[in-house]
Parts: sequence; C-alpha cells; structure tokens
Amino acid sequence: MTYITPMFSRRTVGRLLGAAFTSCRCFHTELVGQESSALPIVHHSSYACELPANHRFPMAKFPRLLHFLIKDQVITEKQVWVPEIASEALLSCVHTEEYLNNLMNGTINEREQRRTGFPWSEGIVTRCRYETGGTVLAAEVALQRGLACSTAGGTHHAFPSYGSGFCLLNDLAVAAKYLMGISSPKRKVLIVDLDVHQGDGTAFIFKEEPCVFTFSVHCGKNFPLRKQQSDLDISVDDGLEDKEYLSTVEAHLPWLLETFGPDLVLYDAGVDPHWEDELGRLRLTDQGLYQRDLYVMKTVVSRGVPVAAVIGGGYSRDIDKLALRHSILHRAATQVWREGGM
Amino acid sequence: MAEMEETDFNDILDDWFIESLKTYKDLHVYQLEHPTQVIEWTSGRTVCVAGYSSSKNEILELHLPLKLFADENKGLCAERDFKVVHGGFAEGPVCCLRHVPGTRCVVTNDGLSSDLQVWTVGGDDSDVIRRTGSVKGRRSVSEGGSRIAAPLSSQLLHGARSSDVQLTQLTSGQILYTLETDSADPLSSLQFVSDTVFLAGCCNGNVYIADTRTSAAPQLSPGPAAWGGSVLWWTDASAGRVIRLSSSGQAVVSDLRDLGEAVSWAQLDVQSHRCNPDDVRVSWAPALDNCIAVSGFSGAVQIYKTSVWGTERQDVQPLFEHRGHAVSSQSDDDVFVTAHVWHPERPRTLLSAASDGSVHVWDWVDQSEL
Repeated sequence: MTYITPMFSRRTVGRLLGAAFTSCRCFHTELVGQESSALPIVHHSSYACELPANHRFPMAKFPRLLHFLIKDQVITEKQVWVPEIASEALLSCVHTEEYLNNLMNGTINEREQRRTGFPWSEGIVTRCRYETGGTVLAAEVALQRGLACSTAGGTHHAFPSYGSGFCLLNDLAVAAKYLMGISSPKRKVLIVDLDVHQGDGTAFIFKEEPCVFTFSVHCGKNFPLRKQQSDLDISVDDGLEDKEYLSTVEAHLPWLLETFGPDLVLYDAGVDPHWEDELGRLRLTDQGLYQRDLYVMKTVVSRGVPVAAVIGGGYSRDIDKLALRHSILHRAATQVWREGGM
Repeated sequence: MAEMEETDFNDILDDWFIESLKTYKDLHVYQLEHPTQVIEWTSGRTVCVAGYSSSKNEILELHLPLKLFADENKGLCAERDFKVVHGGFAEGPVCCLRHVPGTRCVVTNDGLSSDLQVWTVGGDDSDVIRRTGSVKGRRSVSEGGSRIAAPLSSQLLHGARSSDVQLTQLTSGQILYTLETDSADPLSSLQFVSDTVFLAGCCNGNVYIADTRTSAAPQLSPGPAAWGGSVLWWTDASAGRVIRLSSSGQAVVSDLRDLGEAVSWAQLDVQSHRCNPDDVRVSWAPALDNCIAVSGFSGAVQIYKTSVWGTERQDVQPLFEHRGHAVSSQSDDDVFVTAHVWHPERPRTLLSAASDGSVHVWDWVDQSEL
C-alpha cells in the first residue's frame, strides 16, 4: 500500500464543504486516524443520540460496538477516523430540497414520522447526518487505503423525499453518489447489501444510474413487503442457514465484480440475518456472519477493488449481544487487512 | 390495477409493521385455512381452535410461538411460528369449546342442538383429536348454541337457555344439578365464580347466580335499563366484579354481591351494532386490574380501563386497540374479530381470531405507562 501523509490537519479539514471533487484528496473528517498502518475505523460519538424511553431502536449499540472492539483489542483508538457531519449540500445529491428543509426544521408530518419509526427531534437528525458522514468518510478512506469500516451505517430504507424503517437519510446512496463523481469517467460503485431487509431506498435511487449497481440479498417475507427493483435482487426464504446463505452470495459476487468492474464497493454487513435477530427470519450463526463478511471483503480486496463496510441492521433487546454481533464485521475486516498485508 | 392495489396493500402493511414495533412488545400472526370463533387455553402455551362452517370442520390444538415465552432470553429462541400439534375433525360447526381442567379433554357444542361432544386431545403419541364421548343436553332442540363451563375435571355445566342449564358428571353422564328458572332466556355466557357458584348471563341482560350445592332458587338480577330497541347483552365476571356489555356498546360494571347496583357505566367506542350472540366477547383481564377486552364489533380488539369510568354514562376511549386483523386482511368483506382470550398469567398478552382465518398473539405496550 502507498504510504499517504495526511494532507490536512484536523482543524482545516473540518471546514470543508461537501462538494463533489473527485480529484480532491480532502477527507470529510474531523480527525484523521493516527495509526496509518492499521485498518481504518470510522466512528463518531454522535452516532448515538437520546431516544424516548423504551424506544425499540437499539441506539446504544453504536458506542457499545466501539467499546467492545477496543476492549477485545481488535482495534486501538489510534485507528479511529472521526467523520464530519454530512452537510446539506452533500445530502442534496440524493435527497430533495423539500425533504431536507422539513428534516432540518422539524416539519415532517405525523404520518411520515410514523413510517420512519422515529419521533422527530433535532438529535435524531444530527445523529443520522453524522452516520451518513461516516459512511462517506469510510468510502473516501477505503479509496486511499483499500479497506475501511464504519461503526454505523446502512440506512438503506431512506428514499429521496422521505424516510422509512428507522432510516432518515440514505448513507449508502449519498456515499455512492458523492464518490461516483460528476465528471467522466465516473467511478463505478457496487453496493453489496446483505442486510436481511431489501435495500429498497437505494434500489430506487439508482434505478436509472448505470454507474451504480445495487445488489441485495434479503428475506422475501421481511419488511419491506413493498419491494423495489435493485439491479440484482436475491430474495431468500425464511429459515435459510449458514451454508446455503454463503453459497448464494458466492454464486453472485464474483461474476458481478467481473462483469460490472466497480472502482469501489460499499458493503452493508447487516447482522439481521442472524437466527437470534428479533425481526429477521433467517438462521445464520455468528460463524456464518463471520464467514460471509470475510468472503465478501476478501473477494473484493483480492481483485484490487477498495471496499468500505457499514454495520447495517440488527435488532435485539440485548444491546451488548447485538454490539458484539456487529463487531464480527470489524474482526473479519481486521483479518482481511492483516492477510492482505495492507 | 390489481398490481397497484397489491403494492398499496403492501405499503399499508409496511406502515403497520413499523408502527407495531412501538405499540407491541410481541406480535405473532398465523393463518388458519378456515376461521375460528373459539380460542380456548389447553395449557399455558397451547390453545384449541375450530371451524364453524356448516359442514365438516377441523379442530386444532396450536402451540404458541416459543419466541413469545423467551422473555429475557429472547435470543435463545428463534421459533416464531405457531405450530399445529394436534388435529381432528368435527362433523358440524364448533360454536363453543371448553377445556376440561386437569385433563386432555375438550368439550364442544355445534350451536344447533344442546348436546355436547367430548374429545380427547392426543395421548399415546398420537397427534389426533378424537371424539370420545357425548353429553346430552336437557332439551334436544335448541335455537341457539349451548354455553359450557367446566369447573372441575369431572363436571360440566352447560345449557342453551336459562331453563335448561345443568351440571353433568362427565364420565357417568349423571345429572348433578339443574337450574330452575321461570323463563327460558337464551344464554350468552355461563361461568363459575367459585367452585360451586356460577353465573348465567342471558342475552336479554338478565343474570342468574346460583350455587350447585343447593337446590335454593337462583338469584335473578334483571338486565340494566337499556337505551331503546332490543339489545343483546354479554357478561363476564372476575374477582367479584361483573361487567355487562350491550350490542350498542353500553357497559355496566357491578359488584357480584349487588348486581342490581351499577358501580360504573360507560359508552364504548364501538363501530357497529352486532346482533348475533356468538359475535361479541367481553372479558376481564386475569392479571391486570380493572381492564377489559372487547371484540366482535369490528376488526379490532379494544382494551378499556374501567377504573376511569364514572357513574355517568360517558363516552370512553380504549386504552389500546389491536387493529392487526383489519389492517392485514386482504378480503373484500370487512373482517371482524370472532374471538379473543387473555393469557391467564401474562398481564398484557392476548390471542385474537378473525373472520378471515387470522390468529394473532400479541403483547401490547401500555402507552400511558411510558
């Protein structure tokens, strides 16, 4: 890997706006990871915010995930890159002006709020913007370093003009759109979405975009029942276990990489295919998730294609168990980083 | 066009799914091939249901999803589906089904005669529910179905009208007690309030209280003065209180020892005026104070808190409404809830069934406690 000197100090970088300059080497970061030889991890303390008591969304998983990664010595704090908050300009490459205005001003109507599963608050909007910023940064760093992981991300149910299913902003879409660039030749981005729920928002956003390929493996009977059309949808049956699931991914990923030839892969490593997930209807084990993540990242990296991974969905009332499940991704990434001599 | 409708319908279901994450602690759905109007606990985790079409009907014993019972250890259990554990066939409709406590027997009535059918569920490694006996009703011809109450493992209290209620020894068929009344009021409910004292709720609102140990005349409490028109009444008793509900949604709470007096009244928010005795159910929550569940007026099950009712007949709003059957029904006709039961121990867990064959088990979140 090329040794890159961080070109900007943390102070100056923080003031940059989200303009889509493909050749610009500025990262959307508040703090560059100090440990340049280790796997870049993107995290912000604002990934979590206060939610009403008893809210179903496991918000505490974000800080707990980082906690476990450090405690288990998978990573050190020096590997952590801190993202900037995603600016309105950056978000507007995917989301409509009207929706962004309503979101910033708190004028999202009741029904729309209900569909997102979140009561509107400034805090929830801020944390979603940081999350999106995190995915963008992970993609930027991946382009430089070959591999990067966020400790959040995967908000694939957000559409340009409305949110849905705990997603207010579509981080994968914003990152893909931004990194795609505006001038030819545009970067080609492959979105590999292995969250148990279809990446409907992302599929919709890039339906007509030839430079972004959306690939989703999901359980047919899970939310959303109203499906969109990804470039490649694999709808699996309830109860699918490790072996068949992995075979399914193995059957498609290599030829996709071959034929589409992406310049960047965004990987949504949702853990909700796990058998213990409260909402997912599949039966993967911890080992199955690890094998899956290892396979995806290795397959992409070994072709010299950078990959940025996000944690995707997972629903459990046991936050620590859930955070540990999400950490499987980062452990697998660490393995890939090590093996690849990155 | 049909595709568009399917998309809209899926969208509605998706909306409801997201909302249900907030309003329920647990929710599991199941689809029967044919609807049931009976749900009866046969253990803490199993229920019996049965069809009510005019010809042959299935009787099924279902095991509730294991995931529901996992509680703190939800992660340990992935099984989220209902399972059919026993099944059998009835020759006619099943309008009433009761489990005989301490046994593997259930008793049914077809709503056509007052005779009862006795069934044995499983046993000897069998997964069959088979007919093992019958109990003759007092009068063979009946316009309405019999109600059944089973206090002990060997006795059945049953009858279609107040004039033909009897307590029958299950094994021998011996009649141990008969209720003597002047009028032959069709019954909407029959239940024991102690080992030997029972309450017979009539469709016209009359309530008889009697003790099977004595031959003394039963106590009659006439129905509450209803607001105009002929109405039907349903009754439920628990922990010394009795609730009576009319087909126009009026509800009266009384003390068991003083049925003539009303402790509180309310006008419930019900959508229609059902006029079939089998349609509506009202029941006290066994593990929650002052809560009732009401179903049969629409596609929803409503939970009301009676402690906030007063002596004036005020309009009241439900504490919770389970709209799952209505929302997820794909049938063109309006779906309505045919039965509901509370879980005997879990405070906020109920089962409900609807006319489209759906069966739901749900554990609702009391928003007022948040």
